[in-house]
Amino acid sequence: MADALLNPLSLTLSVQTSEAFAAPAMSLADRASRALESGVWGAVMYIVIGLVAVLTAVSVLGLVMSYIERKVAGHFQCRLGPMRVGPHGVLQSLADGIKLLFKEGIEPGDGDKVIFIGAPIFSITATILLLAIVPLAPGIQVVDMNVGVVYIAAVSGLGVMGILMGGWSSNNKWSLLGAMRAGAQMISYEVSLTIALLVVVLFSGTLKVSEIIESQQQGWWIWRGHGVAIVAFCLYVIASTAELNRTPFDLPEGESELTGGYHTEYSGLRFSFFFLAEFANLFVFSALAVTFFFGGWLPFHVGNYEGFNAVMDLLPPVISPMFWFGSKCALLIFVLMWFRWTFPRLRMDQLMRLEWKVLLPIGFVNLIVAATIVLTGLYFFPSAT
Amino acid sequence: MYDGTVATLFFYLFAVASIALALGVVLGRRLLRSAVCLIGVLGSSAGLILVLGFEFIAGIQVLVFIGGIVVLLLFAIMMTSEGHTFEQRPNAARRVMGGIVATAFFVVTLSVYWNTDFPLVSKEGLAVSHEDVHAIGRKLLSNERDGYIVPFEVISLLLLAALIGGIVIARKHDPEDT
Repeated sequence: MADALLNPLSLTLSVQTSEAFAAPAMSLADRASRALESGVWGAVMYIVIGLVAVLTAVSVLGLVMSYIERKVAGHFQCRLGPMRVGPHGVLQSLADGIKLLFKEGIEPGDGDKVIFIGAPIFSITATILLLAIVPLAPGIQVVDMNVGVVYIAAVSGLGVMGILMGGWSSNNKWSLLGAMRAGAQMISYEVSLTIALLVVVLFSGTLKVSEIIESQQQGWWIWRGHGVAIVAFCLYVIASTAELNRTPFDLPEGESELTGGYHTEYSGLRFSFFFLAEFANLFVFSALAVTFFFGGWLPFHVGNYEGFNAVMDLLPPVISPMFWFGSKCALLIFVLMWFRWTFPRLRMDQLMRLEWKVLLPIGFVNLIVAATIVLTGLYFFPSAT
Repeated sequence: MYDGTVATLFFYLFAVASIALALGVVLGRRLLRSAVCLIGVLGSSAGLILVLGFEFIAGIQVLVFIGGIVVLLLFAIMMTSEGHTFEQRPNAARRVMGGIVATAFFVVTLSVYWNTDFPLVSKEGLAVSHEDVHAIGRKLLSNERDGYIVPFEVISLLLLAALIGGIVIARKHDPEDT
């Protein structure tokens, strides 16, 4: 990371030719291990810079996305959304953040105080760990493990722990009910989420996130994996909406029945931690969908239409990956927000039936079909042209 | 990948954390707090595995033990002991029994440690590359002499049987449900 910032040329040069993708000058893993091996201070600096970068990303994402969410919600409901603080209300999230900072942190009297305080920190830690593996641009990624997909599955499972802890330690029946719902829902939908990602792992033949992006040079998996990848993508979107506790799956905080769900008793900074984790997770799950199905930071290319591809490559290599990654992410985030303001909330039994009786069988069949396609090499689109 | 001082530093960090948290699991009287400490213990051992360079095993450790088993524990605690934050203090007889069992287990573990040779694997032997996940997969599904297909299938069958058994037991208490 530090190396990447100091020497941007080595990164951007490799963006131009497709051969350079296969063998970049120095991979992230090499740079990371060099930093870690350079002694104690090198390792400390690497970890500190990585953490600061991710923490900054979490807070900025929280600020920007809560504003966008409120604006999108407003326009969906034929109102304007926040308009008073700053032009078109752009400073609204900042004002809200300051308000949250100055609010009193109230602790329930009979609850378990240590766990009550620890829960939001646990929740945001899981988000930070997850954000660390998102590849923003070639080389701009805090960790790039060989087993990236296993890491994603493992760390995304940690998020539910903060919610369970928070709900239980509040010593409040609404909180507990919300936490139980969240736990049941997130554990169930995690299965579908992982199965959907495994389809792309089968196609690309690797667990490493950066290699999954590189494997989409000839075309994004959503096209090249024909129907199978499209089904996997739909499963992923449904499961990640449930994993994010967003409408139509927002039962854990269904305000009409549970006041605020697991975060009913939280206020001030601790509440804002849950809040930040939620919005950062919205970004992370969109970013992962982009990485797995839409080619990450790769520009939009159509087969062998050289002219069209050349136009798509017009952007200077410094901003090209950022532009493509950012715009794909923004589109997906908008779709998820669209869901939230369009669909009604499910009932708990409908939610469970949807996962175990509908999504999971579809996911398994889809995985078997994907395995058959990969084994027989039955691609509609030739992989090497 | 990790070398010298940094690896040593991380080793002691994780070792101290896992011992301290393990004490927290056993000595704490609040059930849920013990479960949270258990998350820390399992996380630290995942960290120890990571220091050795086995990323895949560390990932699976977090995925299965923290994401699966501890969540199950948390659910069990929430379902059964609502309102009872504290565990009851055990009476004298149970304390004595517990002491005997714990001492016996400690002696057995210690004797196993004394009588086992732990061969030092070279640094090269520990270097885990991309191929290792492939190697684990092949080994797990290979039906050759050193393959693990039979244990793998037997465990899968056992899990399926346990799953069906669990559903059957859970259904019995609900006569309204058809």
